[in-house]
Amino acid sequence: MTEKKSKKKKQVKVNLTRRDVLTVGVAAAGSAVVAPLITSGPLSPFSGLKQAALEAETPTHIEHGHGEYHWGMVIDLDRCIGCEYCLRACSAVNDVSPDHPWNIVIEEQTSTEQTFYFTRPCLHCQHAPCVEVCPVKATYHREDGLVVMDYDRCIGCRYCEVACPYDARRFNWEVPKYENPYVPTWGVPEVPRRARGVVEKCTFCIHRIDNGLEAGNMPGEDFDSTPACVNICPVHARVFGNLNDPDSEVAQVIEANPTIRLREDLGTDPSVYYIPPKEGL
Amino acid sequence: MTTSTVAEKKPSISPGFIAWLGFVGILLLIGLVSAVMVFWKGLVITNMSDTIPWGLWITIDLSAIALGAGAFTLSAIVYIFKIERFRPILRLAVLVGFIGYTSALLTLVMDIGRPDRFYHPWIYWNVHSVLWEITWCITIYLSILILEFLPVIAEASFFDRWPWVRKAAAILHKTAAPLAIIGLGISLLHQSSLGAAYGIVRSRAVWFKPSMPIMFIVSAIAVGPALTVAIAYVLEWVTGKMTVPHNVLRTIVRFSGVALLVYGYIKMWDFLASTYYGNTEAVTDSLALLNQLTPYNFTFWVFEVLLGILVPAVLFLTPRFNRNPANVVLGSFLAVLGIIVNRWNVTVSGLFVPLEYSPGILYNPAPVNYFPNLVEWGVAIGILGYMLLLLTLGVKYLPLFKEEHGHT
Repeated sequence: MTEKKSKKKKQVKVNLTRRDVLTVGVAAAGSAVVAPLITSGPLSPFSGLKQAALEAETPTHIEHGHGEYHWGMVIDLDRCIGCEYCLRACSAVNDVSPDHPWNIVIEEQTSTEQTFYFTRPCLHCQHAPCVEVCPVKATYHREDGLVVMDYDRCIGCRYCEVACPYDARRFNWEVPKYENPYVPTWGVPEVPRRARGVVEKCTFCIHRIDNGLEAGNMPGEDFDSTPACVNICPVHARVFGNLNDPDSEVAQVIEANPTIRLREDLGTDPSVYYIPPKEGL
Repeated sequence: MTTSTVAEKKPSISPGFIAWLGFVGILLLIGLVSAVMVFWKGLVITNMSDTIPWGLWITIDLSAIALGAGAFTLSAIVYIFKIERFRPILRLAVLVGFIGYTSALLTLVMDIGRPDRFYHPWIYWNVHSVLWEITWCITIYLSILILEFLPVIAEASFFDRWPWVRKAAAILHKTAAPLAIIGLGISLLHQSSLGAAYGIVRSRAVWFKPSMPIMFIVSAIAVGPALTVAIAYVLEWVTGKMTVPHNVLRTIVRFSGVALLVYGYIKMWDFLASTYYGNTEAVTDSLALLNQLTPYNFTFWVFEVLLGILVPAVLFLTPRFNRNPANVVLGSFLAVLGIIVNRWNVTVSGLFVPLEYSPGILYNPAPVNYFPNLVEWGVAIGILGYMLLLLTLGVKYLPLFKEEHGHT
């Protein structure tokens, strides 16, 4: 017994000297300090690339939706006639594959067997499961509440597709060589196609929002800076705008109508509100 | 010097060995052709889809990493708990771990859409992501495995010509204990995080439970060492040489048996709480649908519980059975099968059940069935070939079982 004990002590001494522990500790701490320097600091081999600019754009401290803007949408299921114009305009403007539309339209029935139509863009959740699970921050929250994709960073692991409760994400399973049937009738592509192997989704036409604000327009009010699906809707079933501005149309509509959000039990806090059909759901 | 080692090896390349290498070569060729096709055409040629974005390959990743768990378990036993008896199996365990982790990474490279960006998790950190943590842990742990194994490689007769290699290896070997400690911590993290990758997805009712990470790590700790023992026995049959003392193997297998029972115990309460008593609408509906689409109940009870836990536990723990190596190998094979079926069931059980938009069921798309197609199986076969090749080369050319002579 005693022999065993002494042997044990000896081994501890031999195998785990203070220097060993220190070396490992210093190495771990050192890499923790050096890694961010290499990745985003002036030492970064990538600093010359576009990635660095994107990195700067990614907010480190997320206070999404609490800034000046919080882009959101109301979809009036009572008004929607299921014409699919939103799907078509979206697919044309964003040059989306006809097999994997971002914006979906579904015929549904209420409990009283009344037919109604249900459409769904990306809901731009404020607690988005896709943002939580992405291993490389290829999808992230912007200060204005948008959930954005960085196609240059995505590794195509598809965890976000697995985690999204709303089936809003699409993967590029092959080289995007499809013919877009909605061009030019429903619009012309305003953004390039995404490469094979990355995930994509509805962006609320982020390019229109950003360009519009830069030009001094207000997204949701000025045509050119408003999402294509909202502009095209013939029955004004979709309203888009700044949820943080109580005077905006979208805020007024939410104020004046009963609204629901999808799967509120999951705590995702979506930025898209639905006005249910008059008959109820 | 070099000529003598070559002369030593030559007679051992028997026709049987060449036939075996040919078989492994065919597996690798199938895998290579499939991999080239996937890289050429894209993942569109697999049966995966936006509805079921993960499939067979993720199952292989999860299983291979779980089966490599023998390395960290046995390293911890030897280096941290100082139970020297188990040292003779350590090198084999580390080799098996290395094979498991590298095959998982190989499969992962096939599975992701942009393999050219494999390094992105190291550059762009999302510290909130379980998958980010898993990627980090797996790569760090793989480096630890390599560091632990380099001294063994340095002992190969090939390095007789460079004495400095041996000296460097001796220095490296001194870091084994701290490496084992870090390895233990990191393994405890990522082996459970693999389960958490499913357990935290709140949109999938079948997955969303805190027992998921615990079941993953306990099953890995149980089956990893058992697989290492089974490989030791099989090597003994094939090479005709004693590998690891049988009493050591029996002790490890008993440990695995107990761990399997712990796994079964947690699994029992998980089943009772989340399925039997829980009986929530989402889970009940999901399981009903799964049973319509797949033999979920059958595979769960027969492969995961009966053949994967109970039978191996009896074979491992009863002295009557575990004295006979054949029973131990059979038990390990069943337990490994149980793990693979479990990882498959976990993966597909969450994905087969379509998402549902409440309030009211606004959108409930038709469930999509998934079964891997030829290309996916081809890659899987290639991965198996890779595993067998590495094991064969390791056993043939590395002094895996050298240390036992010094200790017995």
